Amino acid sequence: MIQETELHRRFLPRFALCESALRSFIRRLVPAPSDADDVMQEVCVVLWEKFGSFDEKADFRAWAFGVARFEVLAWLRDKGRDRLVLDEEVVLQLAEEAESFEPALCRQREALEGCIQKVPPEQRSLLIQAYQTETQIHQVARQSGRTVPGFYQWLHRIRKMLLDCIHTTLSKEFAL
Amino acid sequence: MSSSFETLLESYLAGTIDAEGMARLNAILKSDPSSRKRFAEVLNLDAALAAFARRVPHPEHLPAQARADRRSSLQRNRPPRSLRSSLPRAALALAACIAVALALARFFSVPAEFARVAPSAQVPELSPGTPLHSEVRHLHAGTLPLLTAKGVRLVLEAPATFRFESAQKLHLTRGRLTADVPPEGKGFTVVTPSGNAVDLGTRFGVDVPESGDTEVHVFQGLVIANSKHDRQRNLQTGEALAMTRGGNAARDVRPAAFIQHEEQNALSAGLAAGQQGRAREMLQHLRQDPALIALIDFTDPFLQGSFRSVQGRWPGSRAPEFMRQGDHVSIDVGGGKEWPQLTIAMWARLDRLGDPYQSLLHTDGWSANKPGQVHWMLISDTTMRFGLYGNKLAQQFIQNPPRSLLHGVPQSLTPLSPAQGRWVHLAAVYNADAKTVRFFVNGRLDNEMSLEVALPARLGPARIGNWDTSDRKLSGRIDEVLILGRCLADGEISNLHDSGTPYR
Repeated sequence: MIQETELHRRFLPRFALCESALRSFIRRLVPAPSDADDVMQEVCVVLWEKFGSFDEKADFRAWAFGVARFEVLAWLRDKGRDRLVLDEEVVLQLAEEAESFEPALCRQREALEGCIQKVPPEQRSLLIQAYQTETQIHQVARQSGRTVPGFYQWLHRIRKMLLDCIHTTLSKEFAL
Repeated sequence: MSSSFETLLESYLAGTIDAEGMARLNAILKSDPSSRKRFAEVLNLDAALAAFARRVPHPEHLPAQARADRRSSLQRNRPPRSLRSSLPRAALALAACIAVALALARFFSVPAEFARVAPSAQVPELSPGTPLHSEVRHLHAGTLPLLTAKGVRLVLEAPATFRFESAQKLHLTRGRLTADVPPEGKGFTVVTPSGNAVDLGTRFGVDVPESGDTEVHVFQGLVIANSKHDRQRNLQTGEALAMTRGGNAARDVRPAAFIQHEEQNALSAGLAAGQQGRAREMLQHLRQDPALIALIDFTDPFLQGSFRSVQGRWPGSRAPEFMRQGDHVSIDVGGGKEWPQLTIAMWARLDRLGDPYQSLLHTDGWSANKPGQVHWMLISDTTMRFGLYGNKLAQQFIQNPPRSLLHGVPQSLTPLSPAQGRWVHLAAVYNADAKTVRFFVNGRLDNEMSLEVALPARLGPARIGNWDTSDRKLSGRIDEVLILGRCLADGEISNLHDSGTPYR
């Protein structure tokens, strides 16, 4: 039997290569970042549990996305009764398009690294806090001197600005 | 994108969307692909921001009460995982996740590293060992050796702009690179604005000029050239291709146009040993020589001719590169005077192309009207030939009788080869009084030939590179052309080479 550490050694590089794509994929299908964290954790457990029987010559990424899609659908069926979530049909459409979107989305995630540096430091700090799982949005909103709805509006504006910056960066650097 | 879609998206992200809004959002997403794309991009950004926030330490200045609130709210709202699963699975999963999380923390405490700057690098802004992630990098001067996570050895030549998409995919928007790909790196891909080059084993070069066509040159092995404008082509050893807008066009393979890692090591060692400083001192010394006719270092932006200005022997220096038939630099020096003694020397980096002649320096014209005109070239076996109009070879030679003297023109003995270094120092010393021509390769005397008739040399308008457009083309770069109205002694030529070589 293969030692667990050896299995780990094989699992981690494969997982590492698709981790950010996988997180983004799950995030696109569930309503909140904390939901995405929950599903991601579940997916991570399933991948690890089933990795022993995974054919290592096969495409790990495709397998991981398949597992993630299954887990998201299960989560939506479970939560969809008392939460407002995407329709299953929309989720399937988005999942279907994920493969063709991924290269562009990957470049956009990379371009964020440069664009986020252009946000003034004080606003950047607020933005980061808003995305840190340890914080509560009303605390960050209060700290910024805004109401919670006002803070969400601000967040939306910042995201829009970042997305514009990402598009500009990519069109300048790599028209590919 | 409709404003109502943006509003719905905003309230969905804020968690404030109502049932009616959710139904509308679902309906739009179901029916409109561009809205789905926008949705995917915004949520992708959300995921990237969350990932970014995970890498930043949690700020200490948040009030302690807020952290306590957060913890208690988590405890209120989420049942422990163990209640949601059967106990043995939960235990296994927990152990797995702790192990995975610990290892991942190491993996993701920094963004994925795709390559590192190799130990021999001599580039100020990128010191050896610098990890390269997915950021865009600009190389302003010099050559940069890199080693990817898959063991691919790369050498990039400035000016270059590049970024890694992964350890196996490099985007090159300008610049030159060579790749030496081991079996583990098979599939390494260079993405350029004109198309991709996918390696199926060993060595190749890619040239992305600021303007003009991207070229792929295969030195060894097999490469797939996948142009945006044409069909996919397989290129084998010794083949080269330009990806033009009009389609693929075959090119001569030009190994000397690229710096491979063995040469890179010698260049780095040369820089580390201070060769650039020695060369600069030698140039200053030469500029003070009373017999100086011209010292052309190609930094003059108004230089006349048709050539591509690329890097010379030193980081940031300039040299003309000649590729097409007719490419040349025009000069006009030493005219209206006779030169009984003459030394011409240059650094050259050449491909063995352009039979039968490769022109090093040709004065314009070759006729009885202007006896003494100088024509200096390489012939098809890459030995030098130095001719003056009206001169005649002596019947007997001091040493080393030449193999062929069909044209009755003095020539050198040793053919040039990459083994002598890619940058090679060539010199010819002419003495009409002593009736001799002496040839030097890399500072060493290669051959001396005597003449029966030796006229004083005549200069004036001349061309470096190509002289006419039919049989005298040159493929490569020329750096530092020296023309002196006196004969340099053997020791001086040797010094010229030793202080000017970029290698160690």
